[in-house]
Amino acid sequence: MAKKQPTAEDLAAELDQKSAEIRILQRVSSAINATLDLEEIYGIVLGTMDEIFGFHHSLILLLDESGETLTVVASRGYEGQTLGGQVRVGTGLIGVVAKKRRLMRLSNLGSQRGYIAAIRKQMEEAGRSGELEEAAPVPGLPNVESQIGIPLLIKDNLIGVFSVESAEQKMFSDREETLVAIVANQAASAIHNARLYRAEEQRRQELAELNETLEDRVRARTAELERANRELRDMQTQLVQTEKMASLGMLVAGVAHEINTPIGAIAANTDLVRRATEIVRQRIEDKGSLAELAGDSRLRQAVETLRQASQTEQLACERVTSIVKSLRNFARLDESEEKLVDLHEGIESTLTLLRHELKKGVEVVKHYGDLPQVLCFPSQLNQVFMNLLNNAISATGGKGTITITTARDGDGVVLRFADTGGGISPQNLKRIFDPGFTTKGVGVGTGLGLSICYRIIQHHQGTIEVSSEVDKGTEFTLRLPIQPH
Amino acid sequence: MGEVRLPDEIRPVMENGIPAQVGTCSADGTPNATDISRVYYVDSEHLALSNQFFSKTIRNIRENPRACVNLNDLEAFTCWVVHLEFDRSETDGPIFDAMDMQIEAIASMTGMSNVFKLKAADIYRVTSVEKIEYGPAS
Repeated sequence: MAKKQPTAEDLAAELDQKSAEIRILQRVSSAINATLDLEEIYGIVLGTMDEIFGFHHSLILLLDESGETLTVVASRGYEGQTLGGQVRVGTGLIGVVAKKRRLMRLSNLGSQRGYIAAIRKQMEEAGRSGELEEAAPVPGLPNVESQIGIPLLIKDNLIGVFSVESAEQKMFSDREETLVAIVANQAASAIHNARLYRAEEQRRQELAELNETLEDRVRARTAELERANRELRDMQTQLVQTEKMASLGMLVAGVAHEINTPIGAIAANTDLVRRATEIVRQRIEDKGSLAELAGDSRLRQAVETLRQASQTEQLACERVTSIVKSLRNFARLDESEEKLVDLHEGIESTLTLLRHELKKGVEVVKHYGDLPQVLCFPSQLNQVFMNLLNNAISATGGKGTITITTARDGDGVVLRFADTGGGISPQNLKRIFDPGFTTKGVGVGTGLGLSICYRIIQHHQGTIEVSSEVDKGTEFTLRLPIQPH
Repeated sequence: MGEVRLPDEIRPVMENGIPAQVGTCSADGTPNATDISRVYYVDSEHLALSNQFFSKTIRNIRENPRACVNLNDLEAFTCWVVHLEFDRSETDGPIFDAMDMQIEAIASMTGMSNVFKLKAADIYRVTSVEKIEYGPAS
């Protein structure tokens, strides 16, 4: 069968047509790639199909994240709503194109439907209806005759399907298939880029919003933490103060007794002094000359009594002064800042305040070393000394020995408070610095003393350790830097 | 005998989707004719028929490898009569995949997925081609 040879005019016309098509494709390609707006890309692609190539019905479907469903994101030439229509991967031309990731072109689908309808009827008549399924509805023309489906691929990854349909009983030609495929490939790249850009923009926006809210949240949280921290500090201060007042409260009876003794001596002397003074006054009045006065033994006795009384009162006053000084030294209420102090002074003041408790039968042995002045909050350290010494006195039950040893140790000092009391059991020793832990019984101790001591020493960048042996005694060792950082 | 080549103008007819008719004959000379949904162009000397469920056609071909296909061009009112000789069956490869893809698409959109399943692509060599005009112009 002889094949008709094309004429020169035919070839020229074909060349013109191909040139025109290439120009169109170049324009379309430029237009698609000039934008990152998805809607604009869809519009250019579908518009090109309709207005330039005369394909009046086309759809763009994108694959969802599950990879199982395609959704119509753009359409042209359809009556009614096609946007949002869905196709399962593997169903219909579009679904099979997605599944196989290959272009497919079908024609005369009406004839195919007729043929298949005949087979269905035969099968139904043969009682094989069970093998038949309901036809799956797909978006697009209900009376589609010809269709080209092109997978939208980015590096072998399917992102969607582009479909061109016709209700006419004509077949898309190879040339038309090529044109549609070229536009679809351009569209795939452009859609991919636009989606990446959109996702990036969204991420940027989310990040910006997150940053904005994050700053607010951080600010709010910081304020909350600062408030909580302030409250905690206030509570701790209050707690320390409460414990201090509790220690002082326990001291009051002893201190009162200590003050009462010299005051009693002064009071007792008052009558003695009054009577001695009366004797002196009477003797002076009765005697005519100094020589007589000089020989008056009664007068001399009265004057001696006055001298002794004066000495006693001086000692009593010194004792009271010492106690008051110790109290002030202990409390150091006027000193809220760090200062260089002699720790021995603090220990001594504390011992003075505890004298009433000690003198029942506790011997205090001191091995004071040569200590430099230590930068500290003196009232806080005095509170520690008071707590440790009070505990030691309690442990001895009023009879025993407390040994206080101090020494310099490099850039710090070491203070040891050892007692010969009953000691602490290993299980109690583990919890000794826990807040609320006490062995003194309800209402006797707060259980906060050693916990506060621990915190005070920690605050001074020092350490507090305890070693104990039941029935032999306990020793607390404090290590403090001379100059905390 | 020189090789018979399919004319270029027959290809669109093969791909137009209009069901074709295939005729075969058993060893004892009993003829059989049936519709077939598609005929696939392989190359200028070969075409393929889908081996789905036409058991009688397939049985005949195994006994007598000759067949005849009528390809209908309804627009041109012509029918191409192509005589064939069975060459081979393929159950994979590009021809099988292309046929399988089209059958799967049509089957799934018509609720026939359980019925239309490609068993093999039967490849036939073309032994003769004849164009018959049967429309008003003939």
